[in-house]
Amino acid sequence: MSKDLVDLDGGQTRMDAAYGSDDGDADSLAIVAKEEASLGAIFEQNYRSWDGNLGPRWVRNYAIFRHHVFGLFTSKGHRSYNPFVRLTILVIFIGAVSPIAMLFFASLFGAGPDGFVDKMWGVNRSNLWGQVLGYFPRNLCYWPLLTALVVGGMISDDRRNGTSAIYFSRPVTRVDYTMMKYLSVAVVLGFVIIFSYMAYYTLAIVFKGEGWAFLIDTLPMFLSGLLCSLLLVITYTSIGLALSSISQSRFFAAIAFLSIIYGTKLVALLVDLQFETSILYILSPYDCLAHLGQWLLGLESNYSHSLSLSVVSLILMNAISIIVLVSRVSTLEVTRE
Amino acid sequence: MINNSKPKLVIETKDLVKMYGPHLALQGLNLSLEPGAIGILGPNGAGKSTFFKCILGLITTTSGQGKVLGYDIRTQGDLIRSKIGYMPEYDSLDPELCAIDQVRYSGELIGMNPAQATQRAHEVLEYVGLKEQRYRKIGTFSTGMKQATKLACALIHDPEILICDEPTNGLDQRSRDFMLQTLRNTVREGGRTVLMSGHVMDDIQEVCDSIVMIHKGKIVVHSRIDELARQVDKEIEISVWGGSSKMQVALESRGLSVRRLGRVMRIKVESDDTISVILECAVESNVQVRKMGEYEPDLEDIFLLIMDKLGAEVKKTSDLMTSEHTGGQVYE
Repeated sequence: MSKDLVDLDGGQTRMDAAYGSDDGDADSLAIVAKEEASLGAIFEQNYRSWDGNLGPRWVRNYAIFRHHVFGLFTSKGHRSYNPFVRLTILVIFIGAVSPIAMLFFASLFGAGPDGFVDKMWGVNRSNLWGQVLGYFPRNLCYWPLLTALVVGGMISDDRRNGTSAIYFSRPVTRVDYTMMKYLSVAVVLGFVIIFSYMAYYTLAIVFKGEGWAFLIDTLPMFLSGLLCSLLLVITYTSIGLALSSISQSRFFAAIAFLSIIYGTKLVALLVDLQFETSILYILSPYDCLAHLGQWLLGLESNYSHSLSLSVVSLILMNAISIIVLVSRVSTLEVTRE
Repeated sequence: MINNSKPKLVIETKDLVKMYGPHLALQGLNLSLEPGAIGILGPNGAGKSTFFKCILGLITTTSGQGKVLGYDIRTQGDLIRSKIGYMPEYDSLDPELCAIDQVRYSGELIGMNPAQATQRAHEVLEYVGLKEQRYRKIGTFSTGMKQATKLACALIHDPEILICDEPTNGLDQRSRDFMLQTLRNTVREGGRTVLMSGHVMDDIQEVCDSIVMIHKGKIVVHSRIDELARQVDKEIEISVWGGSSKMQVALESRGLSVRRLGRVMRIKVESDDTISVILECAVESNVQVRKMGEYEPDLEDIFLLIMDKLGAEVKKTSDLMTSEHTGGQVYE
């Protein structure tokens, strides 16, 4: 206790012993504080103003994009993805680029252009198609699972947590919101699907030391495959986001997406096996893409029905998904109803 | 404090009408709000949410005009929303984010760059009392902390108008006091305008100087609270023991208007000798008057009185309200 708070001699601070006698108790002193000790200020609430400048529309939109995409790479500060989801996406990515490793080994071992490794993993029509649209493992295990994990909570979380109010009470329009969510999913899918496809083609040339002639021969095939991968990303993103927008549960969106992809394929396959007609494949998003991809890459078709039916079906699937997405986003509320 | 360069009126509407199909949600709202703290009152379905959506520029109005901070609500919604902070009533936070990240993200959605948003997020979280909890996940927060985080999200860009939709919902007494103190500081120290809606009249009264009451899409009252309180009938509150019913009958037989809540009665002051009449009634009824005092009406009483009036069969708004209830202003 500091000395200035204590008055040893002053009348107020001197207190005679209450029950004193003459045997020395009269000299007893109790020392008490002269004034109340300061308690200090633990919390002082001061309003601080801010006069910075706000960025234009693209700054806001980029913030939405960054929030969703960067969350896959860093858990701090951005949308939180479950570690299991991030690990699964990493495994899918490694699986998608695994042919590159085989090409690398083939280049080390000096396998010839007609060797087993080159036929299995080298650049040709079938392998370029298969890199994107092959059923096993890519369209059975990789792409649907990847899409389901990414789109699951993309919009349903906003509906469940009410975070749509955070967006729409700010100068973020519903068009911007929908476009940025769409772009975020498409970029993540694109990073795995398109990037792995491009890396495969580019590194095949590098590892094998191919020249301009190879490039000129294979570039049209590569571009056709690239178009296929873009269509696949667009279609899966549209269907996935539409499902995410109609529910409050990321689980529902993910399971519903997998059900649509696998269910339509399975039903069409059973009908094909039983009645020898491929027409029901027009209900399967994967088969419509595969059918179109076979035509684009000049491969023999596995389907007996007309290509135009698959194309129309694909357009309708995307259109319906986007209509559902837009109408559901328009119902996201800012205020309580 | 309020700076002179700011517009005199922060919100101005003229004949604002909003229809949802055949349902008339807002019926020709004429409103001029000056800076300060304003309570927006009204029963559920009165049109408060529609009014907020209109002034945020989120919905297209059917007819009429409106300006917020000088910006047109029909064409400049983006600009309006960049000047307004909105604190929703219900949960609007991502439970998996830390408070600092949620507040920063809400700043980025306004257009702040990440560095600015991060710095400002620290400041506003300190202001709302969450400095120590800012790195905790929102999912672990109490209701009070979530409300404070929502307020921080609304304040991050230092908005000129803060709209708080029932900010004390679900809060315990301590959190409620702190929330109300924070809102008062925002008005008095920060010089911001606060529009606060709610059903707890005490909260509105603690923060706001004036109220706007909406009923069936119409503004029925727009006045300062103290002016309204002055114009409500004066009452004497007594607490009796041993025969409240007898006492009530005795008072009513003398022509006095009595509101009774158990042993507590409020008697309308009809004349200077009302107190003497009350005491005479107590003697006649053989009851003890244990407490007697002048009853000061609070906003709750005013609200209930007005709503009671509005429940009557009336043809136009002016019939609904007396000048005593509207503070002299009657809105058509």
